[in-house]
Amino acid sequence: MREGEVEKLRAVVRDCLGKHLYSSAIFFADKLATLAGNATQDLYMQAQALYLGKQYRRALHLLRRHHLVSADLRFRYLAAKCLEEVKEWDECLAMLGDGEVDEEGNVQMTDDQDTEFLDRDVEEREINIGAAICLLRGRAFEALENRARALRWFKAALKADPYCYEAFEHLVDNHMLTSDEEASLLYSLKFDPEDHWLSLLYSCRAKKYGQLAAIESKFVELEREPDESQLEDDSVGCSLKDNNDVVACRADLLYHHGEFQRCYDTTKALLEKDPYHLTCMPLHIGAALELGRKNELFLRAHNLVQEYPNKAIAWFAVGCYYYCIRQFDHARRYFCKATTLEGSFAPAWLGFGNAYAAQDESDQAMAAYRTAARLFAGCHLPALCIGMEYLRTNNLNLAEQFLMQAKSICSTDPVVYNELGVMAFRNKDYEAAARWLRKALSLAPPPLTEAWEPTVVNLAHTLRKLKSYVEAISMYEKALALYPKGASTYAALGFTHHLQGSTGKAIDFYHKALGLKSDDTFTAEMLTTALTEECTRLSSAPDSQFFSLGVGLP
Amino acid sequence: MATVWSAAHRVELRRAIRHLRDRGLYAAAKWAAEQLVGLPEETSRNAGPPPAPYSDSEKTKLKRPSRRKDSTTQVGPGYAGSGNLREEDEEEDDDVLLLAKAFFDMREYRRAAHALRGSTGKKAFFLRCYATYLAGEKRKEEEIIELAGPLGRSDAVNPELVGLEQELFALYSKGALDAFGSYMYGVVLHERERKADACTVLCASVNAYPWNWSAWLELQALCTDPDILPTLNLNDHWMRDFFLASVDLDLQRNSDGLARYRALYALFPRSDHILAQTATAHYNLRDFDEAEGLFEELLRSDPYRIEGMDIYSNILYVKECFAALSHLAHKSVLTDKYRPETCCIIGNYYSLKAQHEKAVLYFKRALRLNRKYLSAWTLMGHEYVEMKNTPAAIDAYRRAVDINPRDYRAWYGLGQTYEILAMPYYALYYYRRATQLRPHDARMWCAMGQCYETEQLNMHDAAIRCYRRALSNSDREGIALHKLAKLHENLGQADQAAFYYRKNLERMEADQNEGQDFVDALLFLGNYCKNKGSLEEAEKFCDRLLDYGDPAKEDAKALLREIRSVQQHTANLPSMDLEQYTP
Repeated sequence: MREGEVEKLRAVVRDCLGKHLYSSAIFFADKLATLAGNATQDLYMQAQALYLGKQYRRALHLLRRHHLVSADLRFRYLAAKCLEEVKEWDECLAMLGDGEVDEEGNVQMTDDQDTEFLDRDVEEREINIGAAICLLRGRAFEALENRARALRWFKAALKADPYCYEAFEHLVDNHMLTSDEEASLLYSLKFDPEDHWLSLLYSCRAKKYGQLAAIESKFVELEREPDESQLEDDSVGCSLKDNNDVVACRADLLYHHGEFQRCYDTTKALLEKDPYHLTCMPLHIGAALELGRKNELFLRAHNLVQEYPNKAIAWFAVGCYYYCIRQFDHARRYFCKATTLEGSFAPAWLGFGNAYAAQDESDQAMAAYRTAARLFAGCHLPALCIGMEYLRTNNLNLAEQFLMQAKSICSTDPVVYNELGVMAFRNKDYEAAARWLRKALSLAPPPLTEAWEPTVVNLAHTLRKLKSYVEAISMYEKALALYPKGASTYAALGFTHHLQGSTGKAIDFYHKALGLKSDDTFTAEMLTTALTEECTRLSSAPDSQFFSLGVGLP
Repeated sequence: MATVWSAAHRVELRRAIRHLRDRGLYAAAKWAAEQLVGLPEETSRNAGPPPAPYSDSEKTKLKRPSRRKDSTTQVGPGYAGSGNLREEDEEEDDDVLLLAKAFFDMREYRRAAHALRGSTGKKAFFLRCYATYLAGEKRKEEEIIELAGPLGRSDAVNPELVGLEQELFALYSKGALDAFGSYMYGVVLHERERKADACTVLCASVNAYPWNWSAWLELQALCTDPDILPTLNLNDHWMRDFFLASVDLDLQRNSDGLARYRALYALFPRSDHILAQTATAHYNLRDFDEAEGLFEELLRSDPYRIEGMDIYSNILYVKECFAALSHLAHKSVLTDKYRPETCCIIGNYYSLKAQHEKAVLYFKRALRLNRKYLSAWTLMGHEYVEMKNTPAAIDAYRRAVDINPRDYRAWYGLGQTYEILAMPYYALYYYRRATQLRPHDARMWCAMGQCYETEQLNMHDAAIRCYRRALSNSDREGIALHKLAKLHENLGQADQAAFYYRKNLERMEADQNEGQDFVDALLFLGNYCKNKGSLEEAEKFCDRLLDYGDPAKEDAKALLREIRSVQQHTANLPSMDLEQYTP
C-alpha cells in the first residue's frame, strides 16, 4: 500500500476520533496498524481509540502484546489510565512504577525517561505528562484510601505543572489542606509570568479563611480590564470580570462570610447563565437553605435529581429541602444517599450530621461529623460541629478541645468564637466569654444581620453576669433591633432592669415578653415579684411618686 | 391676612395632593383634600391659583413651569428639601413608572415592585419600596388568617422588612433619602421596634415635606410618652399644629388639644377633621352633650362619613340612647357594612341591648377588618368582662395596650379584670398606668384605693391617700367619701371618719340618694355624737334612722335608749368625764 493512502487512513482515524465516532476509529486504526506494519505511532492511535471507545481491556492487551508498555511514558500512562477505568488500582500503580514523593510533593526523579519530555520543545502549551502521572497516582492512592500518599501525589502533580487543574480542584474542593498549607503550596508553584491570572485565580479559589481585604484586592485585579493600568507588572487586570468561575468564587467568599442574601443573588444570577455550573450549586443550595427559600430548593432539587441522578449534589439538594421544611428523617435519608454516591462530598456529611443533631441523636451526629473531620482535614466545620454537639450535651472539656481545633484551622469564623464564648459562659468564666463574644461580633460582617442576634444576646447575658448592667441593656436593645420578636430577650432585658432596681421598666419588659410568649413561667414569676416590690415601694413613697406625677410612662 | 394665608395653603395642598396620589399615599391625599375643602371659600379668583376645574386640564398642558413658578413664590419661606422633589414631579413620568403605578392601583404590589426594579428616580424608588412593603403586609395578613390562634394572635411578620431596612439604611447613611424615602424608612424602623431611630427619621421626613399626614400619624404613634414630644425637632408649619393637636388628644391633654383646634379652626373653618377631633376631645372630657351635638353637626354636613362615628356610638351608648344608636347602626350598615367602625357601632348597639355574644361577634369582625383597631379591642374586653370570660378579656385588653399604650380604658379594664381574679398586685399596677394617663379621673383613684384595701395588701394608708386624691378630683359617684369614712372608722380615727361621713351625708342629701351608705353614715354619726357628748345631735341622727328598714331601725332604737339613759345620768352627775365612753 502506498504511503499516501496510509497517511489518508491516519487522517480518517484522527477525524473519527475528533467526531467521536469511536467504533469507526477503532476499525480504521486496526487496519491502519496492520497496513503500516504495526508502527508505534499507529498502535498508540489504536490504543487511544480503544480507550475512548471504552474498550479498556482490549487497549491494555494491545499495549501489552506489542511490548509497548515499557517503551514510552505515554504508553505507560495510557495503560495505567485503562487500569484506572477498570478499577485495578494496585495494577495501575505498578504500571506507573515506583515513584517516591516527599511530604511537600517533591518527586525524587528516578525515571530518566521523564527528561525526554521535559526537554521537548513544544510549540503549544501541553500538560506535562509527569503531572498527569502524578495525578493518576494520587487518584489511585485515594481509591485505595491511602489519603496521605494521595495528598502528596496531588501536590506533586500541581508542582510538576500548575496547569494541572484537576489536582488543584481535588485538593481544594475536598478540603484536603489547611489554609496555611494551601498558601505555602501555591507559593511554591512555578507560574510563568504570563500566567499571573492563573495564580490569582488559584489563590482566590483557595480557602476563604484569610483576610477579607487581601482576597478582595485579588478579585479586583482579576476582574479589571488590562488597559486600565499599565504601570506595574503585578497589578495588571486580567479582564475575567464575568467569568463564571470567578463569579462562583466570589459567591463562595460571600457564603463564608455569612452574607447569604448577597451570595444567593450572585449564585442565582450565575445559574441563570449556566444552569449546570456544579461548583456553584452547593453554595446556591446552602444559601437558599440559610434564607429558608424552600420553594427554590424544591425546584432546584427536582431538576438536579432528574438531570444528575448519580451525582451527590442532586441528593444533597433534596436533603437540604427536607432539612429546610424540618423533616429531618427524610433529610437524613437523602444526605446519606449523597454520601454513599460520593464519599468526598463534604456538605452532605455535614448535613447528615446536622439532621441527626436536629433530632437530638447525638451519637449518630457525632459519627457523621467525625467522618467529615477525617475526610476533610482542611475544613474547620466538622470540628466546629463536634464542638457544638459536645457543648449541647454539656461535655465542656471535649467541646473546648474541638472548638480550639476549629479555631486553629480557621481563625476568622465568628461562629467559632461565639461557641467558645458560650462554652466559657457555661464554665462560668464570664470574662473570657465576653472576650470571645466580642471577638465574634467584630469578625461578623457589618452591618449585623438577624443571624447574629444570638451572639449579641449571648454577650448581653455575659455582661449581665459581669454586673455591667448598662452595657448589657444596650446589648439587649441592639439584639431587639435585629430581631424584635425575641420574647426571651425582652424577659432578660426586664430582668436586667429588675436587677438594677428599676422595677417599673422591668414590669414593662416582662409584660412584653409574656405578650410574645405567654407560657414562660420564669418571666411570669418575676413579673409577680416585680409587681409586689413595686407596690411596696410606691405605697410608702412620697406623694409626688405615689401619685406618679413625676414618673414618665415607660 | 387670613385670605393670603388660605390662598397659600390652597396652593400647597393642591400640589401636595398630587404628590401624594402619585406615590400611592392615598390616605394622606384624602386627608389633604379634606383640609383643602376645609379652607374658607375663595373670595376672588385672581388672588389665588385657578380653581379646581382648571387644575385637571393644567396637568395635560405642557407649558407649566411659568405658572408653577409664581405659585412657588406664594408658598413663602421654607422647604428647600422639596425643591428637587418638585423638579421630578414636573417631569412626565416615564413609561415604566406609569405601568408600575397602574399595577399598584390594581393592588398588584409585587408586580409593581418588579416593574420598577431598574428605575432610578426618587419617585420610582419610593413607589418600589412602598409596593414591596405593602406586598409583605398583604402576605403577612394572609399568613395571619391561615395560621392564627383563637384571637388572631400570630407571630407572622412582614417578610420584606429586613431587606427594606438594609436597602433604606444604606441610602439613609449616605443622606440620599428624600422626604418620602425617609417616611418609608421610618415606617420600617417602627415595625422593627426601633422607635428612637424611627422618630428621628420621621422628623426628618416631615420637616422636609410637611404635607404627608401619614408621616405625622406614624410619628404620633411613636409619641407614647409625653416626654418624647419636646425632644422632637420639628420645624414650624401649620401641619405641625394639626399634629400637635392630635397628639394632645392622644395623650389625654384634651383641653390643650381643644385650644389648638380652636386656633386651626380659624384657618380651616370648614374642615370636618377639626370638627370630628373637637368632638372626640369633648368626649374624652366626658362632656357628652357637647360632643353629641358636634357629631350630629358633622353628620349633617357629611352624612356618609364613617370615620369617628364609633366614638359617636360610644357617646350614645353611655347616654343609653337606644333609638339614636340603632339609627346610626342601620345607617352605617347601608353606607359601608364592612368597615371596622361600622362593626364597632353595631357591637355597641348589641352591648347596650345586653346581647354580649353578638356584640363580641361584631367586635371580632371589626378586628378581622383591621387588627390594629384599638377601640374594638378595648370594647371587646369590656364585653368579655360582662360575660365573665376573664382570660379572653385580659387578652383583648393586652392587645389594645400593645397597639397603643395610651389607651387608659384598656389599662383600667385590665385592672378590673385582675381585681376579679383576686390578683391585687397586678390590678394595682394597671390602675396605676390608667391614673398616669388620666391623673384627674377620680374613678381610677377609687379603683386603686380598693386594691390597697384588699386583704392581700391591707395597706390602709395608701388606700386613704388614693381616696383623698379621688376626692380632690370631684368624685362624682361619691365612692371615695364613704370609703374614706369607713377606713378611718376601722382605723379608730373617729374624728376623721366623722368628718367624711358628714361630707358624704351632705352629698347624698343634695343628690337625694339615700341608700345603705346613708344609713351607715347616720348610724356612725349618731354613735360618734353620743360619745362626744353632743347628745342632741346624736338624737337627730337617730331620729332620721328610724325611717329606715329593720336592722338600722333596731340599732337606732338601741342607741336612742342609750342616749336617754345617758341624758338622765348626766342630769344626775353633771361632772362625769365623757372620754371613757369613746370606743
